[in-house]
Amino acid sequence: MTANSDASAGDSAAEGQAAGRREVFQYAVRRFGVYLFTLWAAITVAFFVFRLVPGDPMNILLGNLTRAEGRQRDAAAEEAIIAHYREIFGMDDPLPLQYINYLRKAILGGLDLGPSFVEYPAQTKDLVFRRMPWTIGIFTTSVLLAWIVGTGLGALIGWLQRSRLSQLAVVISTLLQITPVYLVALGLIIYVGYIWRILPAGGPYARHLQPEWTWEFISSLLTHAILPMLSNMIVIGAGFTLGMRALMISVLGEDYLTFARAKGLSPFTVLKDYAFRNALIPQVTALAIIVGATLNGTFIIEILFQLPGLGTLFVQAMGLRDFNTMQAVVLFSIFAVLTLTLIVDLALPLLDPRIRRTA
Amino acid sequence: MRNPSIIAGSIMLALIVVVALAGPSLVSRLLFPGERPTMRGSYRPYQLDSVEHPIGTDGDGRDGLMVFISSIGPSLQIGLIAGATSTGLGVVIGFLAGYARGRLDTLSRILIDMVLVIPTLPLLLMLAAYIDRWDLYKLSLILGLFGWSFVARVIRPQVQSLRERSYVDLAVLSGENALEIIFLELLPPLLPYIGYVFSLSIVGSMLAEAGLQIIGLGAGGLPTLGFMIAKGFRESVIAVGLLGQMLLPAGALIYVFLALNLINTGLDEVFNPRLKTTVEGK
Repeated sequence: MTANSDASAGDSAAEGQAAGRREVFQYAVRRFGVYLFTLWAAITVAFFVFRLVPGDPMNILLGNLTRAEGRQRDAAAEEAIIAHYREIFGMDDPLPLQYINYLRKAILGGLDLGPSFVEYPAQTKDLVFRRMPWTIGIFTTSVLLAWIVGTGLGALIGWLQRSRLSQLAVVISTLLQITPVYLVALGLIIYVGYIWRILPAGGPYARHLQPEWTWEFISSLLTHAILPMLSNMIVIGAGFTLGMRALMISVLGEDYLTFARAKGLSPFTVLKDYAFRNALIPQVTALAIIVGATLNGTFIIEILFQLPGLGTLFVQAMGLRDFNTMQAVVLFSIFAVLTLTLIVDLALPLLDPRIRRTA
Repeated sequence: MRNPSIIAGSIMLALIVVVALAGPSLVSRLLFPGERPTMRGSYRPYQLDSVEHPIGTDGDGRDGLMVFISSIGPSLQIGLIAGATSTGLGVVIGFLAGYARGRLDTLSRILIDMVLVIPTLPLLLMLAAYIDRWDLYKLSLILGLFGWSFVARVIRPQVQSLRERSYVDLAVLSGENALEIIFLELLPPLLPYIGYVFSLSIVGSMLAEAGLQIIGLGAGGLPTLGFMIAKGFRESVIAVGLLGQMLLPAGALIYVFLALNLINTGLDEVFNPRLKTTVEGK
């Protein structure tokens, strides 16, 4: 790639850049098209998976309520109640019509995903928006921190591959990487939270506090966030460390590195400009791939740490068979994963001149 | 195959399979002759570690060690069935996608990538909400159905690169049909890789199953390692002082993952000899 731009002088370089910009634009447009299509398909799959599973949510819901109250209702009255609510929720229409209505409301009606069954007439949209900052906050912060730490550490371990310390680091990160995130979370809750009592291990902030802009509240929020984020970070960070190490080692075998050393560049320059930068690109792609799996982990972490995020909302909704809310959570998590993946993919050309300048 | 990682991993795995198969009856005969240690209310609940109950009794009055040992089998079984389902599906789809050309190829790639990024946990939970009577097979099949996209995603490029080799051209010229090419020419060299992916799928399924149990939505009542951990957490056995009832199942899960991981590393080296030379060569 450098040989290419060195050889071409003046005009042709400018032309090449213009062509390159067009390429990036086309890449972005194509990528965005795939994004929209995937989003549509995912919504469709989620919609039909929901409708095709046996069991009428209204019957289940009413059955639960009856059981909770512990007395029998008049069967005819029950029928009438079910019919009334089925009508409100539009569940008597044929499936394709329901689907079209659903899409129409979701897109044109400003993300109108229907009312929540349980907190009727509250909109599921509002429930989801209230919970979303928790999930997204924990998720993005821990993934980004894990990526930065893991990439740095992995580069270092790969660079010093034959030292004892880096071999030990490989063993430790392999062990941490295969440990499921919820076991790490449970371990942290039990040891750090309850046995050693160093950090709080449950709830979003101390119980006696109210959300407000005071130092007391913010510090309580932050200390409560440490353990959930740490559990996510340990596992993902270990994965990134191992990935970066492998990339580093394969880059170290390349001829241009021998050349850089032969030129007499300082080891640090070789590490920074020659090895690290080239190993970085697949590492960014890896970031895009793990986003989905990590969101799964974050849901579990929320539930274990009792944080009011989407995962907990989903579990509550599920206990009550709140159909619309569950669907909304699924849709928003699909949306979040796809959008984050899109952002990573669109950021790639900034890092990799080969994608930016493919002719 | 004389790969040390594969040997070590296989031995570890064989050991735990033996424990899972022979353990329950053996331990029950040795330690609890004539008793029913896994029946609810057999003993006083929450007893601390003692000679009779090496890791105490659980909240239902069952012997902790017996519960632990009889949980290993179902966990492994779920991993095996779900892993086989997702690998089977993924290999078939991956082969079709890799073998096809042109528009079909593009379409299949988009489909695979699409399914791959959809977060599976909410969908799994959603299904869990609707299935009233869970059993081991239902759970395993559902886990398997959600795992194929990853397998297809990694198999497809392998098939694509193989089918461009000249020996495949030769096979085409000598009149082999598509099925013969797939089964006789493309499949055999990919077998170690498929083994690798299979073992990854087992890990993924066991991970997902235990995760579902821990957030309390799995197949409730299925005696798996994840269920034991979840139950222990809910009954806060650690606070009571019954560390073993938490650490043993967690340790067993990690042990299985480690064994499979070792086998994976080995299979990866067998399939991809470059890995070995780059690591050891310089």
